Amino acid sequence: MTAEESATPGERAVVDGTPPVTELPEGEIPSGGPGHAVLAGVVPVLLGLVTMWLARDLGLGTLTDPGPGLWPMIVAVLVLLTGVGILLRARQARDTEAFTRGAVVVVIAAASLALYAFLFELVGFEIPTVLLLVLWLKFFGNESWRTTAVVSVVATAAAYALFITALGVPLPHLIAI
Amino acid sequence: MDLAPVLSGFAVVFEPQNLLYCLIGVTLGMLVGVLPGLGPAATIAILLPITYGIEPAAAVILLAGIFYGAQYGGTITSVLLRLPGEASSVVTAIDGYQMARQGKAGSALGIAAIGSFIGGTASIILLTLVAPFVANFALEFGPAEYSVLALIGIFLVATLGNGTLIKSVAAGGVGLILATVGLDPIVGTARFTFGSDQLADGIDFVIVAMGLFGVGEILYNLEHRLRPQPAVLSFGRAIPTRLEWLRSRLAILRGSVVGFVLGVLPGGGATMSSLVAYAVEKRSAKDPSRFGKGAIEGVAGPESANNAAATSSFIPLLTLGIPANATMAVLFGALLLQGIPPGPQLIVDHPDVFWGVVNSMYVGNILLLLLSIPLIGVFVRLLRVRAAILAPLTVLITMIGVYSIRNNVFDMFLVVALGLVGYGMKKLGFEPGPFVLAFVLGELLESSFRRSMRLFGGDLTGFVERPVSAVLVAVFVLTVVIVPVLRAVRGRQAARAEREVVGV
Repeated sequence: MTAEESATPGERAVVDGTPPVTELPEGEIPSGGPGHAVLAGVVPVLLGLVTMWLARDLGLGTLTDPGPGLWPMIVAVLVLLTGVGILLRARQARDTEAFTRGAVVVVIAAASLALYAFLFELVGFEIPTVLLLVLWLKFFGNESWRTTAVVSVVATAAAYALFITALGVPLPHLIAI
Repeated sequence: MDLAPVLSGFAVVFEPQNLLYCLIGVTLGMLVGVLPGLGPAATIAILLPITYGIEPAAAVILLAGIFYGAQYGGTITSVLLRLPGEASSVVTAIDGYQMARQGKAGSALGIAAIGSFIGGTASIILLTLVAPFVANFALEFGPAEYSVLALIGIFLVATLGNGTLIKSVAAGGVGLILATVGLDPIVGTARFTFGSDQLADGIDFVIVAMGLFGVGEILYNLEHRLRPQPAVLSFGRAIPTRLEWLRSRLAILRGSVVGFVLGVLPGGGATMSSLVAYAVEKRSAKDPSRFGKGAIEGVAGPESANNAAATSSFIPLLTLGIPANATMAVLFGALLLQGIPPGPQLIVDHPDVFWGVVNSMYVGNILLLLLSIPLIGVFVRLLRVRAAILAPLTVLITMIGVYSIRNNVFDMFLVVALGLVGYGMKKLGFEPGPFVLAFVLGELLESSFRRSMRLFGGDLTGFVERPVSAVLVAVFVLTVVIVPVLRAVRGRQAARAEREVVGV
């Protein structure tokens, strides 16, 4: 993918003047196969079973005097049943989306956020914030190095001003003003 | 009807800071309506921590403004790009985009703004008249009524959402399970905490909303970020001609009524009402063949309807404490954060908040009309803002915002985990809306169910023996029967609408 391909409406689209060009969004999201449809049913079934097992240990009590486990048990049975229902209809289901190669980006993105949270308390919020923004802007967003540098530094300073100076949130930070 | 509290509500609205929050709210709403990717529910969720420090009335005025402002903004992308920003603007794309292709984008946007204004304002007036009665009636409700009411709310949102019925019920069920994490509300036993102190207080609603709506949506958009967008059609000024106004007058009126009535129903009121309004216009037109080729009534009707519906969907929240859609669920959380439980006692105990918020919508709609007619070009230019820059900034605000709730890093990990859950749900065809709504109502539902069971001595028939709760049970049973029919009708219309949008 090049920068030209990622051009946004701003670059090609013109608000006033130029003759209008119409394009449909390309690359419709591929729908998931039978595997995805089955997975959509298996997850509720497992969640239901685990919750039922945990709820039983909490103590069900009676209907007159419900214990802490009764309500979770009722809901867990409901979830289990919906899971079974989804499995039964999995063959006809058309409402899932395939995990594309882009899913790798999603996993990396989530991992970067977890790492951000981890570093946050160790070294203050400034350095992890700049690093996070660089990763997202440059590597996920394919922005130029110049945009990346400007946006990440300005945004970090703005976050400092908003959260620490204006709202008085005690964020762990290195730079004291 | 006692007018004094209504009037003193205007005093709340016209406090300079509240006017400012109203302006910020509707402007932000227009922005998120225009910008692709982030919906109003996500925006409100992300801003929740920032509203902690603001006064209750001001905070809700701000957040409500985002919600109805987004309805105005969604129209812009519908007309100019044939990309509905919100589900409720899908039908606007049919005739709106055709008008834009004929060089009449300005008229379409103008009439949409005027229709939205009239629909919204009419709906506020009706809300003002209806809400006190509903709240008064609901004051008599006991735990049995609340159990059934919460059940109706969850069921309707699950069924009127966009996903398949069974998956929405499953998502709602998992939300109810997640709501039980923490100490048991009645006997105080720790449940599903896995020995962690962090989970003993339960999971904060804000974290669930921010995770599923905020982080979940951002992650989901990352996977498909490379879709090129169509070009923006050019247009002159956003003012309809006299003839166009005469043509759409009645459409606006009919749309407002349809919107108000359907908006009160929990679950996707705005979307549903715009589809119905479009169908009504097509049916009542002398020459239905004009529809799909740029009929202005096809813009005026649905746009008035979705705004009227957005406004009237506040009624169940403010009078019964039952949120009608995902955004209302987030607002429910916002009120709780402010220490104001939404419900029938709200109008009595906090008249300043209730009337302040309701009356702020008049001002908000005027501001939106002003923003959309002369300043529309500014918002259109915002379509240039790249998602690649917006996403990292949003995620940054979310992460720091989550931390600021309890100054706790654990919550940041939790929000990322819930974000992944939200992403996975969307991929597998589960709506996050019913999940979040069920999570919000979970504790109310469980504790009123358990109290009723004690009250009735364990006899489930108690729910039908009390007259009011029996009526509500009947309503519940009725909805279980009617909703599949409504879904079938809507499914057919939505499919037709989509065909017309895609196949030009």
